[in-house]
Amino acid sequence: MFENLFYVDQLSGLILLVIGIVGVSVISFSRRYLEGDGLYGRFFGNIITLIICVVLMSISDHAVLFLFFWGMGNVFLVRLMMHKKSWEASRQSGILAGKYFTFGFFMISSGIGLLVYSSRTTSIHQMIYAKYDDNILCISLILLLLGAMAQSAIFPFHKWLISSLNSPTPVSAIMHAGLVNGGGFLLTRFAPLYVKAPYILDVIFVAGLVTAIMGTLWKLIQHDVKKMLACSTMGQMGFMMVQFGLGLFPAALTHLCFHGFFKAYLFLASGSAAREKKLELNYPPRLLDLILSFFIGILGIITFAFVGGKNLMTLDTNLFVFLITFVASVQFALPIVSNDGRAFKMIPVAVMGVISFTAFYAMCVAIVENILEPLNLIHSEPLNWIHIVGGGILCFLWIIMMMSNHLAYILDKFPYMQRLYVLMLGSSQPAPKTITSFRNNYRYKA
Amino acid sequence: MKNQIQHALKISWDRIAPSWPLKNLIAVNPLQGFEDLPFEEAFQKGKAYFGQEFLPQEMESVNRETMKWLQAFFDEGQATIKMPLRNLGLFKSIYTLLKFDRKLMSKWKENLPENIDLILEECLLYLKIPQEQYDEYLTLMLTTLPGWASYIKYKASWEGSNNDSYFKEYMALRLLLVYLIYPKGKELLGWHEGALCKSYAYDFETLELEYKKNLLGKININHTNFVNVEAQLVFCIDVRSEGFRRAIESVGNYETFGFAGFFGIPVNVCDDATGEHYNSCPVLLSPAHDVVMRTSLKKKFGTSRLMRKIYQSLKYNITTPFALVESLGIIAGFLMVARTFFPKLSARLSKKVSHCKVNSIDSIPFQNQCAYALNALRMMGLVDHFAPVIVLCGHGSETQNNAYASSLDCGACGGRHGGINAVILASILMRHDVRSYLAEQNIAIPESTRFVAAEHNTTTDHVEIFEGEKLIKLKSDLQKAQAIHSAQRFKTLGNGSPDVRAKDWAQVRPEWGLSGNASFIVGSRQLTKDSSLEGRSFLHSYDWTIDPKGEILTTILTAPMVVAQWINAQYLFSTLDNVAFGGGSKITKNIVGKIGIMQGNSSDLMNGLPLQSVFKSDQEAYHEPLMLLTIVHAPRSIIDRVIFEQDVLQKLFGNEWVFLTCLDPIDHTFYTLTKDLKWTTSFMET
Repeated sequence: MFENLFYVDQLSGLILLVIGIVGVSVISFSRRYLEGDGLYGRFFGNIITLIICVVLMSISDHAVLFLFFWGMGNVFLVRLMMHKKSWEASRQSGILAGKYFTFGFFMISSGIGLLVYSSRTTSIHQMIYAKYDDNILCISLILLLLGAMAQSAIFPFHKWLISSLNSPTPVSAIMHAGLVNGGGFLLTRFAPLYVKAPYILDVIFVAGLVTAIMGTLWKLIQHDVKKMLACSTMGQMGFMMVQFGLGLFPAALTHLCFHGFFKAYLFLASGSAAREKKLELNYPPRLLDLILSFFIGILGIITFAFVGGKNLMTLDTNLFVFLITFVASVQFALPIVSNDGRAFKMIPVAVMGVISFTAFYAMCVAIVENILEPLNLIHSEPLNWIHIVGGGILCFLWIIMMMSNHLAYILDKFPYMQRLYVLMLGSSQPAPKTITSFRNNYRYKA
Repeated sequence: MKNQIQHALKISWDRIAPSWPLKNLIAVNPLQGFEDLPFEEAFQKGKAYFGQEFLPQEMESVNRETMKWLQAFFDEGQATIKMPLRNLGLFKSIYTLLKFDRKLMSKWKENLPENIDLILEECLLYLKIPQEQYDEYLTLMLTTLPGWASYIKYKASWEGSNNDSYFKEYMALRLLLVYLIYPKGKELLGWHEGALCKSYAYDFETLELEYKKNLLGKININHTNFVNVEAQLVFCIDVRSEGFRRAIESVGNYETFGFAGFFGIPVNVCDDATGEHYNSCPVLLSPAHDVVMRTSLKKKFGTSRLMRKIYQSLKYNITTPFALVESLGIIAGFLMVARTFFPKLSARLSKKVSHCKVNSIDSIPFQNQCAYALNALRMMGLVDHFAPVIVLCGHGSETQNNAYASSLDCGACGGRHGGINAVILASILMRHDVRSYLAEQNIAIPESTRFVAAEHNTTTDHVEIFEGEKLIKLKSDLQKAQAIHSAQRFKTLGNGSPDVRAKDWAQVRPEWGLSGNASFIVGSRQLTKDSSLEGRSFLHSYDWTIDPKGEILTTILTAPMVVAQWINAQYLFSTLDNVAFGGGSKITKNIVGKIGIMQGNSSDLMNGLPLQSVFKSDQEAYHEPLMLLTIVHAPRSIIDRVIFEQDVLQKLFGNEWVFLTCLDPIDHTFYTLTKDLKWTTSFMET
């Protein structure tokens, strides 16, 4: 029964790399950042245990071992989140997250339990290639999905994440680069099974899309830096699920890793937020600038496909990736061509910029995809109407944001838009108990 | 009834001290509104108003709702989609939006008026607050969310143009929310009364006396003058200058002076690369002139600006951030490792050149230039024995990733680096026509005397001399002084060299700032020259012999000393209670609206100094909470006249917010001012 305790493959290697780099940086950062803190020793005990749990979880092959380290990782994350228990709001944040994690753990345990029961193996990497009865497979995949959603703060399991900012900054950094990604890791681990159930992939796509849009919209209306970052993570996790739902598992994992670095960095640097000046982007852009940018954007897709070695002429879900690349390239070119109103002079700069940007982007994606290649995870699905509608919504919202000056006008003018704003602002608030509603309820002493 | 409400509004807002936003954190006495009371009583009351341990639960809901909307309304650039209707003003915009709040919808009453005055009346009537307690009740509306009240006070009375309407609008908003959420809100009056009974006074006296005895012992009553000095250096009165002055004096024949770090030049500075404008003068003054600061970086800045624009264009949109993180992830990972493990190297990569040249000082009229020159020299008592080189040295700090950075910069320059003001005064004093004017006023500056400007980096103790190519000996002496002083300072800071601390993004204590401040000494440097004042004294140079009418002394006591008292009180209260009056720990701080600090998910605006600025650890304070002790080297008769004419001084000395001791040059004796403003030689009297 205990023959397969650990199993290291490219997927676990990748996770080890990310958690290793972020973990070591965060620990070194905290050594200075927490100097003088009353719970200094306890903090390091917890964070090191947390990292060890994540490492062991990612290389565990035995189902029980995997669940044990999954659970322990979350226990230590909750301990870190609470840090000073005398501060009631912080304690409540931990309790709230703990509830979601417990729910997730229960779902995953049942899901894996079901798979163990019907495949008669406790080894995860054997389990994922076993044959199952359709109903059992469906139930266990849904259970796993629910667990993954709770862990990755996918709607409607997002409340804990946007209420988690009572944690010390380094804890947020490691959380957003580490355990929030647990859901993505779990799904990728069981990807060979999900491929057999494309209808579940569509469910994942929709859940991801809703979360991506909601998180990103919320991010744009937040007034403090950390909640903005948390809502942004929520959106990014949603997008990871979208990629997952498209069957682009390596892309989802690429997203997970790079988002980890990106968000950890932004959290650690959040003390500088007041100095970051928002620059005027002169929205809405002039039509000429927009048309030029669209052409340059097409150039961006070509570069991306060429450097990434992808076939442009497909009708599968890779098109979705091209769409995102196109939008990003246009958005990249726009501030360049609209700079000082010298559109034509700036074209060469914009072209060079977009080509380097998309080439670099494609390279970054290719690195991760190459690492994961031996796992044979690429299963791009044929495009269906759900994907097309999803892509359409993302493009529509992007164009709307580009009209943001008009947007402000519309918000000022139309009461139903104001009603929507009030609804969004209210729903993106942290749970009331996790807010320090009275100044003297805050505590820094242990 | 209207009059009573107006009256109560005034009384309640008078109790609130302003608090400045992060871009210029000016130290303020959080109990400024209680300075009309003797210190002990003020402390007791302050404790009852701001130090309560709990708040009724419904009032907590009111606070959550208030906080949410204030964060939205006062946001200065965090949100991309901004709160709608802000141009209607604080009350009207929130009032309109509140009506859409589903949770509150059922509680609105048909007859609720929209007019602010009527709302105030209606709510007070509805809550059944007795008229004679209006002032108390309105005060509680503010003190139950003190940080935001302070910020609104700043917005209303200190941010350039006066905006009095905030007072009424915010009060109406608070009352409206109490009306909607907490119909039994009258209970707060009883809640507060309970706190008043339990409040206690704080006793500093033993600590104060010990410090005073020690300090007076260090003052040379019979001193000698500096002769034939190589150079004279003028520093800010800031307590951080004291140690450095001692260090530079010890390595060569240098004379040093203390003067307000804006060098008496009230200007608004425009950075020609960034286009940013800011006031470089004390907040008590408004700038009289605009100057343009020149940088050689204009082109480079253009490129980096474009790059930031692209970054923001991708980050603050929908759909595009997904591609952004995938393409920038590797770079972010690389930066994270670099900034964590190689802070010096990564700081060099993003180095900002200290830009301190002015395009021209012609925007300051000649008469004003003359007046500023004359005034500055007289105030610091530098009217003869000019050295061949005179260095005017502003100061600023160097820290990374620090929301509180501006609180470590020069307070006299409105929380900015002060080099630019030094540059301006030095250029004025180099002009021949200004010097001829000064000669007419009996201040003869030798032809050969050169004024140069410099800036003291208070974190690393490096002094950068602007355009002083030839001053090789002075520069090497400044380096020696840097080594001496930073060695002393870093005994108290723990491991990590000053240079690394200044560049480390994880550092929460880059320097101790003005921690330890306890006294303000007005007189010539000779009084204190040979002893260590441990970086605890503001030193303002002053020569009583050129000030027979006490005009200069009046300025010193009502401007720099008042600022020193604000600083002193801020450090004091942030140390005594870092939750009620301070910012709390930096490790869980969260920047809201680019203007202030909250703790965690959401909280009151945590104005005041962070824990790490005044505490070594969660348990042990670094700053010793002492009231400011002012020592003036001047005849009692002059001081008496100054106090008699200045209400603010009577208030501060009479209510014991500041203690005054005089070293009378006539009989070389110390006299202490009592709280009924009489002099006594008895040392123990305070």
